[in-house]
This record gives sequence, structure tokens and C-alpha cells, in this order.
Amino acid sequence: MSARYDLCVVGGGIHGCTVALFAARGGMTVVLVERGSLCREASGVNAGTLTMQMTRVALIPYALEAHAMWASAATWLGHDVGVVVCDGLSLAFTQAEAELLSYRAGKRREAGAPIDLVDAKAARLVEPGLGPGVMLAGHCKIDGFANAYLTGLAYRRALIEAGVTILEETAATAVQRVQGCFEVDTTGAPVKAARLVIAGGVWIESMLGWLGVTVPIKVLVNQLAVTERQRPVMRTVIGIASGLLSLKQYPHGTTVIGGGWQARGDRERGGYELLPDRLVGNVRLACHAIPALKEARLARAWAGLEAETRDALPAVGPVPGVPDAYVCGSVHSGYTSGPYLARLLAERILGREPAMPLFPIDRLLDPFERAA
Amino acid sequence: MTFPQRFDLIVLGAGPAGGRAALTAAAAGLTVILIDEQSAAGGQVWRKPRAERVPARTDGQHGEGLRAALDASDVTLALGRRVWSVTEGFRVDSLGPEGSMSCVADHLIVATGAHERVIPFPGWTMPGVMGLAAATILLKSESRLPGKRVVVAGRGPLMAQVAAGILAKGGRVVAVVDQMRLTGWLGALPALATQPRLLAQGGGWMGRVLASRTPWLFNHRVVEARGADRVSEIVVTSASGDRRALSCDALVIGDGLVPGTEVPRLLSARMWFDRLHGGWIPELTADFETSVPGLFCVGDGAGIRGALQAGTSGELAALAVARQLGRKTEPARLARLRRAFARASCFSDAVAAMLSGQTADVARIGPDTIVCRCEDVSRSEIDAAMAEGIRDINQIKHVTRCGMGPCQGRMCGDTVQELVALGSRRSREEVGAWTGRPPLRPVPLGDLVGSFDYGDIPVPEPAPL
Amino acid sequence: MQETDTSIELVLDGQPIRVSAHGSVAGALLEAGVAWLRSSPRAHGPRGAFCFMGVCQECAIVIDGRRQQACLVTPRAGMTIERGGVR
Repeated sequence: MSARYDLCVVGGGIHGCTVALFAARGGMTVVLVERGSLCREASGVNAGTLTMQMTRVALIPYALEAHAMWASAATWLGHDVGVVVCDGLSLAFTQAEAELLSYRAGKRREAGAPIDLVDAKAARLVEPGLGPGVMLAGHCKIDGFANAYLTGLAYRRALIEAGVTILEETAATAVQRVQGCFEVDTTGAPVKAARLVIAGGVWIESMLGWLGVTVPIKVLVNQLAVTERQRPVMRTVIGIASGLLSLKQYPHGTTVIGGGWQARGDRERGGYELLPDRLVGNVRLACHAIPALKEARLARAWAGLEAETRDALPAVGPVPGVPDAYVCGSVHSGYTSGPYLARLLAERILGREPAMPLFPIDRLLDPFERAA
Repeated sequence: MTFPQRFDLIVLGAGPAGGRAALTAAAAGLTVILIDEQSAAGGQVWRKPRAERVPARTDGQHGEGLRAALDASDVTLALGRRVWSVTEGFRVDSLGPEGSMSCVADHLIVATGAHERVIPFPGWTMPGVMGLAAATILLKSESRLPGKRVVVAGRGPLMAQVAAGILAKGGRVVAVVDQMRLTGWLGALPALATQPRLLAQGGGWMGRVLASRTPWLFNHRVVEARGADRVSEIVVTSASGDRRALSCDALVIGDGLVPGTEVPRLLSARMWFDRLHGGWIPELTADFETSVPGLFCVGDGAGIRGALQAGTSGELAALAVARQLGRKTEPARLARLRRAFARASCFSDAVAAMLSGQTADVARIGPDTIVCRCEDVSRSEIDAAMAEGIRDINQIKHVTRCGMGPCQGRMCGDTVQELVALGSRRSREEVGAWTGRPPLRPVPLGDLVGSFDYGDIPVPEPAPL
Repeated sequence: MQETDTSIELVLDGQPIRVSAHGSVAGALLEAGVAWLRSSPRAHGPRGAFCFMGVCQECAIVIDGRRQQACLVTPRAGMTIERGGVR
């Protein structure tokens, strides 16, 4: 007979891994079911930005806690994930962008993000690599980046250490509730657990469907690009007022260019295609901000699939109407805030009161379904 | 960005396969653009020689014929252009001396050839160590010697061609270090004899090398290259383990060819692993069409078969495109081409067999040997990632950075996949290959962005606050 | 064979060097005895041109102020070449 776990987590990204890790450390027996390998989707291929200036206002308090978690990853995760804490600048090159920046930075500041508006001269002191034409900049000292590629390795070590059973290359295909227990069908052997966490990134829509719950999840196909190694050309994390640029140079010399320009793709087929005009547009923004990037060559471009709910706020909490089932995902700028939100959910699963409110999905249900 | 130009057919790669495809399609009345990174057509095998006066009946003659035919044809030539993006539809974006260019067509023939496989050994990153194909380019296209005292090593007929080429230019070959036994060559003779002209050419090279009293060390391999800033000595070993050092200032070495399949992978064409023909290649119909309708792969990029079949495959693919566009093609011509292709397989498969099946050589790579040249990743680092329980080939790339450098994994990909298969006791099919990603080659950001006004960048709507 | 070389002068790491003008920069330098082109970025090992067909990127050095593959560039009189690679 197969063992019955206290908790089964479906999906091995940052959310699933963090819930599994803290639940196991809290004394639960945990199994993690992952279709591919750990953190190989959005959690491993995102731009690794740890920033307040691209974070949604409602998530700022969470992002501040999460930033502190990332900065001390070596302590609680056991691996530093290449985290660099540095200054961040959000730039405005036009009057319209300056207005947008002033408004948005103000709102984020009200929410607790230590963002100051500075002029071009002050911005250049923070980032000497800036190009001409900066009108205004948001400056935040709590910024930085991780090497997202190392996320999977870091969590793998921590999960093994915590005694979590990791089932990789194993896709969950359906869930039944049998005698107060979840039976998860997989492409391998079925898995039994008292509690269930759905943490399947952009695929949580169909996974929630297994439980009879309908929550539409929009898929963002975020394009990313990286240069080959070059001499140091920047030392901060750079964005623009609209949020459609993220830029940072890693210690080994490559620069990752992101910002959420959309590629073409779909979650069912799994593949995606990068559109040359958008790649060029994104790279133009990058070169406008840091002109020395023009010396480098583009080495690779790819995309990560990001999940978004109707109100673009997270889906983190219990699954309505299904006792002991939870969902964890759709966190905007999820790489920054994910570990903290997932840890809050783990607290809840362990029967403790989370330090900050979760984001239950009742608000996202079809009104008719909610009434029923 | 300029408006994309529309053609009936885009051909990528102007070697024997792509060149013939373009000529065939143009002759059938299609509008064709032929794009290549080199400034002259001919590909690697028919590279434009330095001096245009070349003796008759050489590869250069074929190259000249191709270049003249292309110049006289209606094919739009886009040479000296680096293709960096190919997307559905098909849209091809390239950069060249005149800036960026986009073109679109419903049909795309990919003839991007192959690149060299060199199985890593200590010192293979040393200046003065280079590929066998690299040496043929130096000799034929640049009329230059790889060094003053050259060791030629590896496997297959290219060794004979390079050694003979060095001698013909008055250079010195220290030794030919041949992984194959003499009996291996003799065993291949019946199959090679099906192409008497090519056999005679190869026999001629080998004969000239042997006649020069150059040592030809059968069943030997290079185990190390030593030197400071340039190779000065190599160590070779026989199968029985006898080691000896050879003094040299250049080592040219090759273990076969790997098909260049970046474009079909980028377009998600179905691939399969064909060890004999170089590794991962696209699934193809008899007309060389991939699983993506309208996308064709021909020449060595569709499986290592050599120049003889490359041209035939290009012609067959172009005729299929013409048929799909409503042009009539003679059945007799198709039958003749298919027969020619099948007939040539006997020879090309015998050569391909000499160049494939090197699992044992990969297994022998030492822990400290650099596998990924771009990022200096050693075998022990790849093994360490596997020891952590990582099996996914893309994840191994992420953790070790092997394959993440500017060659985009072309030089190490085949070796790393083989190592992962060995280490995880899985087949190459199960291990798979790194996902194809743009750009197809590294492109300077400065060229990519060109000159632009900030206000014209089509920045999308901001995310919600 | 026709071998009338046009000898030209390039500037290699600030020093003049005479090479024959045909073929590629990588080939011309090799012929002039220059095999080392750069140090690898991580282990700082010596590297030179390896594939001569634009694939391996080992010969990517700064030519006339731009990072270019020396095997794909034709030498021209006065061309400045900086070896060393990414530091």
C-alpha cells in the first residue's frame, strides 16, 4: 500500500517548493509532484528581479518581507541563489512617463516601498551607466536580483534536507476525494494525502477544475533576453516608468533584459514563439537606458509563462468548498514575492495564523457558482 | 523596421543543398531569396577559393559553377547576412552590412549544413588546436597552412584531405593520428567503391600522404595537447596504451559532424535521434518536408550525407515546393533524383559510419577536462549536477552554465547530451536536446537596435498598479 | 598557383603587424604567428580560432571597436584589433 502523506503539493515552482519546504519543516510528511523538474517553468526562467518598483501596490508589504527572505536565502534555504542586493532605478524619459512615475512611485511609497524621486544628475550618481535623456527616476534602495536559474537547485537541496518526497517527471492528471483523503492520479503511481496544494503556475486553472472550481487564469508570455558576457556596464537594477523594462548585469558579465513584452504562446501546447519586432523593441529600451549594452551581442532569448487572475492579485488560500485543499499562485512579480506568500500559506496549513492576510480565491469565482 | 518583403520561397544557406534548391525553384518560376552568412555562395564545402583559377573537376569547380549559375539566375541573393530570427509564417529576420532585413514566405528551405564535432580532451582549448573542417577552410579558401608542423587527427576521409592539402602547399605533417584501424578502412572499401570518383579522390589523398613517408598511426588517438599560449606538443596513445609525445605547433582534429538543426528546433519541428547521420535531425518526408508544413530541411543539416546528396535533396525539396505552388514537375525527373539519392546512400552511410558511434570516447573524458569551451565547464561539474539528482538536460545547462555561452551550445551540446545519457543510464532519445532559442547566432545589440527614436518604440500598455 | 600577396599593416594591441591581406583576420594572424586571441572568461585559459566557420565564437575579439568573429572579417589596412576577450 502506498503511504498517506500529510500534504501533497502539485507543482514544483517557487510556490509549491516553498509551501512543501515549510510544511515539512513544520513536521508534516510532504510529497511534491512535478510534471517536469523543479523550477523549470516561470520560477527558473524569469528575469530574477527582486524589486518594489514593478510590484503591485497591494503586494508591497509582502514583497518587502520576501525581499528580506531572498537576501537571507543562504540562511533559510541553504543556498544564496546568486542574490545581489543593490539599488534600483525606474526611469522616465518623457513627460508622460515622468507623470506616470510620480504617481506610481507615490502610491508604492504610501504602501511602504522606500522609493525616492530623483533628477537625472542624482540618478547618474546611482548608475553611471545611464544614457542621456533621463527626466526623472524612482530610486529604491531595496532592490536587487537573483540568478533564477539556480532556484531549482537551491530548493532541491533544501527539500531533500527537509525530507520532502520529490516526484519529478511525474504529472498529476486528476484528483479524487476518497474517505477524507485526496487521491492524486499521476503519470506514475497514485499519491494519497490528507491535504492538497495546487501550485501549478499557469496550469492551476485546469487543476482547480479537478476540484470542480472554475477560476479563469490569464497567461502572460513574458519575453526575456540575455547578452553574452561583457565588461561591467551597470551596477543597479534598471526599469522604466511603465514597468516594461527590467535590466541587470550579473556578476559574470551577462545582462538579462526583460520587462514583460509578450511573446506568442499557449499553455496547452506548451511552446511559444518570440516575435522579432518585440524583441527589438525591448532591446531598444534596454540600449536607450544603458547605451554600453550596444557593445555586447545578444546570446539568447526565451519566455516564461506567468499566470494572472482577473484582478491581477494572487490566488493564495483555501479552495472554496473543498476542505483541506489550497491554491498558491498567480502572484504578480511572483519571483520577488512568491516565497513569502507561499510561506504564509504553509503557516495556515500548519494551523497557525499567517502574519499577513492571504488572497483567497472566493473573489474570483463565477458569481453564480459562488451563490451555489 | 522595414516592411517585410514577400517571396514564394526563402532558402537559408547557400551551400550545395541550398544553392541547388534556390536555382531549381527559380527555374520553376518561383520568387526566391537565398540568404547566407558568408559573402559568397558555396557553403563550407564549396567555399570560394582564394584564387579563382582552380583545376578542373575539384570541389571548387562545383562552387564556381554554383556561383555563376546563381549570378545568372533570378534568385535574390542576400549574402553576408546573419539570420537571427525565424518565426512561424515564415518570417526571417537578418542583419547585414546594410542593416536589418525581414522577409516572409509560405515556404522555407533550411540548408544550414553542419558543424564539427570534437570530443574534448585535455588541452583541446589551446590556441593552435583546431577542427579538421577548419583546416580545410584555411587550406582551400585562404590558401594558408594551419601551422609549420601539423598533427592531423581524428577520423574519416577529411583527415586524408587535410594532410594531403598541407603537403601540397609545402607544409609538414608530423603524423596522422587515426582513431580507426586499417581494417576499418578496408572494410568500408566495398561501400566506398560505389562512388568510384570519390573513392579515387580519397585514395589519392591517402596515397600522397603515405608516399611522403608521413607516419599514419592507425588505431591511435590524441589524449592531450600541451603548450603555454599555443600547442607545442601532443600526447597520443595506441589502443594498447603505448603513449608517445609529438612535437607540433598545430593540431587539427575532428570526430565527425553535427547537423545544424537550430531552425527546425526553433520552429518546433518533430526531431528524432539518428546516430549514424550525426544525431538529432528533423523527421522528413520523401520530399524533405518536416512536420511543420512548408518547412523543408536539406543537406547535412537534415543528416550528415555529404555534398553529393546535399544537392539532390535541395533539388527535390525545391521541386516539392514548386508542386505545392501549382507548378508542374516531371515525374521522370523526380524518379531520377530519388534514385540518385538512394544510390549515393551506400557511400555516404559508409563515411557517416566512420564518424559516428563515439560513446566510448565521451565516456573516457576526464573529470577536469573542459567540455563547454565558452563557459569553461568541466566534466566533473556536469557529473556533480547529475549527482544532485538533476536529469533534465536544460536544467543541467542552467545549473552549470554549460551551453550558455556565445556558441549557444553548438560545440558542446552533443557531448553533454551523451554525458547525461551515460550518467543517468538513459538513451539519447530520453535525454533529448537543449531547446532551440533565438537568436540563431549572437547578434550585436547595436546592430539589432539600429538607429531609432525613443518615442517610436512600441512600448505596450503598463501592467496594473 | 597565384600567390601574389598584398601585405598590409594592422594594429594589433596597439602594435603594428604586417599580414597578407586575403582571407580572414583569424587566418592572417595565424599565418603571422599569432595564435592566441583571448583568455576564456572563467578559467582564463588561452584561446585561439577553432572552427574558422563562424560557429565556435572562440575568435570573437574587438575589431575596429566592435566585437566580431575574426574568422568572418576580411583584413584591411589600418584595422585595429584588440585581443584579450571579456575581462
